[in-house]
Amino acid sequence: MAAEDDGKEYRWETGYEKTWEAIKEDDDGLLDGSVAEIIQKAKRKRMLERKSNARLGMMRHIFVVIDLSECMADQDLKPTRQICTIKLLNAFIEEFFDHNPISQMGIIVMKNKRAEKVSDLTGTAKKHIKALHQIESMPCGGEPSLQNALEMAMRSLKMLPSHASREILIILGSLTTCDPGDINQTINELKEHVIQCSLISLAGEVHICKALAKTTGGQFGVVLDDAHFKDLLLLHVEPPPAAAKLEPALIKMGFPHHVTGAVGQSKDAPMLAICMCHLDVPSECKLSAGGYFCPQCNSKYCELPVECKACGLTLASAPHLARSYHHLFPVAPFAELPFNAGDDNDPCYSCQRSYSASKDKNIYKCGRCLQIFCVDCDIFVHETLHMCPGCASHPSTTSQLK
Amino acid sequence: MDTGEDLTESSLLVVVLDVGLSRATTLRNDPVLAGQVLEAVIAFSNAHMMMRLKNLLALVACDTETTEWIYPERKADMSDLRQQDGQHELFNELERTVRRKIAQLLKRSAGSNSKGESMLSGALGRALCYVHRMQQEERQLNARVLVVTANGQSVSQYMNFMNVFFTAQKQNVLIDVCCLGPESSLLQQGCDITGGQYFRPPQPQGLLQYLLWVFLPEPLLRNKLALPPRVKVDYRAACFCHRELVDIGFVCSVCLSIVCKFSPICTTCHTLFKNPGTLPIKPKRKKAKMV
Repeated sequence: MAAEDDGKEYRWETGYEKTWEAIKEDDDGLLDGSVAEIIQKAKRKRMLERKSNARLGMMRHIFVVIDLSECMADQDLKPTRQICTIKLLNAFIEEFFDHNPISQMGIIVMKNKRAEKVSDLTGTAKKHIKALHQIESMPCGGEPSLQNALEMAMRSLKMLPSHASREILIILGSLTTCDPGDINQTINELKEHVIQCSLISLAGEVHICKALAKTTGGQFGVVLDDAHFKDLLLLHVEPPPAAAKLEPALIKMGFPHHVTGAVGQSKDAPMLAICMCHLDVPSECKLSAGGYFCPQCNSKYCELPVECKACGLTLASAPHLARSYHHLFPVAPFAELPFNAGDDNDPCYSCQRSYSASKDKNIYKCGRCLQIFCVDCDIFVHETLHMCPGCASHPSTTSQLK
Repeated sequence: MDTGEDLTESSLLVVVLDVGLSRATTLRNDPVLAGQVLEAVIAFSNAHMMMRLKNLLALVACDTETTEWIYPERKADMSDLRQQDGQHELFNELERTVRRKIAQLLKRSAGSNSKGESMLSGALGRALCYVHRMQQEERQLNARVLVVTANGQSVSQYMNFMNVFFTAQKQNVLIDVCCLGPESSLLQQGCDITGGQYFRPPQPQGLLQYLLWVFLPEPLLRNKLALPPRVKVDYRAACFCHRELVDIGFVCSVCLSIVCKFSPICTTCHTLFKNPGTLPIKPKRKKAKMV
């Protein structure tokens, strides 16, 4: 006889009461507003939960594994799952390299019970976007093999030095997997090598996927629709809290300065050289004087950040590192206050928009500078600007570092 | 006449005026010239509004203590808005608002410390929030920010400035800088990152001429004009211990601070590092060493 208040209630045993009341229609009978509100509330909750001084893995090496089996041609995500996934991954790659400029990414696809590496671990986004373009036109077929994909990713990731964070992100559309051996063994190996595996399932929750994510310390999510899919993907743009075994190290990096190659600009005569990044593509190889020269071995590269092929030195520029600083010093969440329409309020501190009772249910106050912001500015400050304009406008609160 | 521009596009210009001009040696010695800077900025703003009917303008001022929003004002006093001297009402209102509020700002900070750095990053942050709001309200908008400053290097605001520059790059906002005082490599970096123009007028008396020549054209037109050449920016990192530019440095993997020599403990985040050796080929070997 089950007790009435059993903790593990199933949904059909009135575990959830009246879930339809959470969603309300707005004046035009549309649900978009309330869905957006729910997503925004979840975002705020996540932001408040994030601890600010946790050690983050900044130099990330992530493999994205894409499922190209038969069920990816299914049309439950418009136009097909495959096309929707590729579109969202394009946005993900751009955001990822924006927030983590010194990280590297690789792409693997699973189809016909085999895994294929489409692009190897590199730090430039262009190569991956081209690879994604190729994947879009690849036909889907066969069954996915989780174990093969994990083994292939693990082979490259276990060679990396221990200060880099190693991650795998799997997008799985199928409910089954066809493996040559025992996947639990692979999962244990992944845990040994400190590789974090996260999964996004397009179909439903599968026990082995959840176990994989839990054992390795990653996250598992099932998508509801394409907006939720985007949200789940963009969760992985933020650096994960560093696993306990990640050893901190001083990484040797080079900071080349740009030589424009124009005559008369540099003191020495410009050196003509072939760039090392396009060596395997003879058509794009350029013989020119401009570019970035590695300070250790003087080989030329067109773009940064890159790992020098000749001497192994990581080359970057100071702004690339500066892009990652905002993860270490995030803006504290603003306090949410209800808006009283009757008072003659000053407009929002940063955008000068007057508050209106219909749009602004809550206004936001910064704890340090005590200025009031509207809801749009709150989102903008925390997600894009990473700096409170009020705190930056007063000499006492301006510096977050010292 | 087809210039290739879309006629329904409006252009937003946000002028960030640094009122703490005491760092510029030419302006410190000549107060009349300092007043002319304000006149030049007002005339330039009017010129921008004249370029197209739909152009938008905003003005933020900053000094060493605070930042202040100058124009547009929410509670516009429209009661005595009439034509004066045949000047267009919009320009009249703009001029009066700017003069009144700058006078208020200067009076408030009259006796205070003028030795600190101007709160330029805060003003830029407010400007970008305003641009963000306008980009959501208007369909087609190209936005740029003009910074008129005499501030030199500002060390304590480095993080804020970098955040502002990356945000502006993301929003496709150009940041132009008209530098009246000592050279600022940080602002040069900002102009390079966002694609704007950095310019230092050789003669402050001709400020209005320089503003109209260099900063008035919209971004689309700029590649058809012969503007001052881009400054070559040195992006090498400075090490945290000596503040010297380094070619090869060591970066702490936890806090990303740069040092020029290996040390067993990071000065910023106090994490301990192991001795540098050759990188182990197999992690298992390293585990055996630890035991």
